[in-house]
Amino acid sequence: MDRQALNKQFLLGQLESIIPNAKLHLLMLANSTIMNISVSQTLPVIGDTEGSDLERVPGNSGIWVGIFCVLVEFLLLFVVYFVAKAHNPEAFSSGPEKLHSLAGTAITVFLLTSGYCMVKAVSAIRENKQKTSTKWVILAILFGLGYPIVKFFEIRWNVAHGIDGETGVFYTVYYYLTLNHLVHVTWGLMGLAWVAFRTGLGAYNSENYSGLEAAGLYWHATDIIWLVIFPFFYIMR
Amino acid sequence: MAIGRTELIWLSLIGLTLVGALLTETRGIGWPLTFTVAALIAVKGSLVIDHYMEMRCANKRIRNVLRLFVILIPLMVIISHGWGSFVRELTTIY
Repeated sequence: MDRQALNKQFLLGQLESIIPNAKLHLLMLANSTIMNISVSQTLPVIGDTEGSDLERVPGNSGIWVGIFCVLVEFLLLFVVYFVAKAHNPEAFSSGPEKLHSLAGTAITVFLLTSGYCMVKAVSAIRENKQKTSTKWVILAILFGLGYPIVKFFEIRWNVAHGIDGETGVFYTVYYYLTLNHLVHVTWGLMGLAWVAFRTGLGAYNSENYSGLEAAGLYWHATDIIWLVIFPFFYIMR
Repeated sequence: MAIGRTELIWLSLIGLTLVGALLTETRGIGWPLTFTVAALIAVKGSLVIDHYMEMRCANKRIRNVLRLFVILIPLMVIISHGWGSFVRELTTIY
């Protein structure tokens, strides 16, 4: 279905919600010149450049299979967290006090800022600004790299303070979940590097940018998971 | 650089993160902290889903699955705090 047809379908839906049997009335007027109005400029604009298309699958179908697999994987890991917490409430309430909360906050800020850069990269490519889009993806990678760098120093700090995977059940779950997330962030960074390379080569434009958008979506999915991990291990004490 | 909707969303997310960081200075897990953490996860997750991922104007099934994720986790936070002993009994192998 092309964009104009989708726009008309959307407008009809809106009319139906205001005027009962609107479609019937419009059918009666179908042959009149009144129907020759252009509806393409009457739709609400959502986000920076996105038109309203309620059946649109952002990115591509493949990336959503990957994202849902990651979400299910982490949902199971969060269940493990809750079960371990239920059996060891003392360990889980005192555990976060020994962790470096500033490191957790810094990682959150880096990931959210990197995600913002990816939103800007997708917005730029929709306007056919390939150079601008490439710059935003590179910025997203640079901010994203803040995560493994902070994590490296955080783990060094932990080890220096006697916190390793065998310190207690809370820290075992903490290392397992956060390092698992770090692995997914690494895939995400590799994906961003690939789309930065391709955007730089001019592979994407306003008509074809699903690869760039898909990489951004995966990156945002890792954001969402971290937004859960952060309070679990750094705040809930 | 003009402040658009994307910048406001980013600022909101950073602001909520800093609120979370301030909570690390609080002592003791009570219901207020539990509800605040649950709300922070739900709000920040929804902002990322709706605005960063642009799911507000995309396929309804995908959007609903993502939203379910950021509703389910806060619910689990509340359940684990209020009914921890029930979860313990439920997951004990005798």
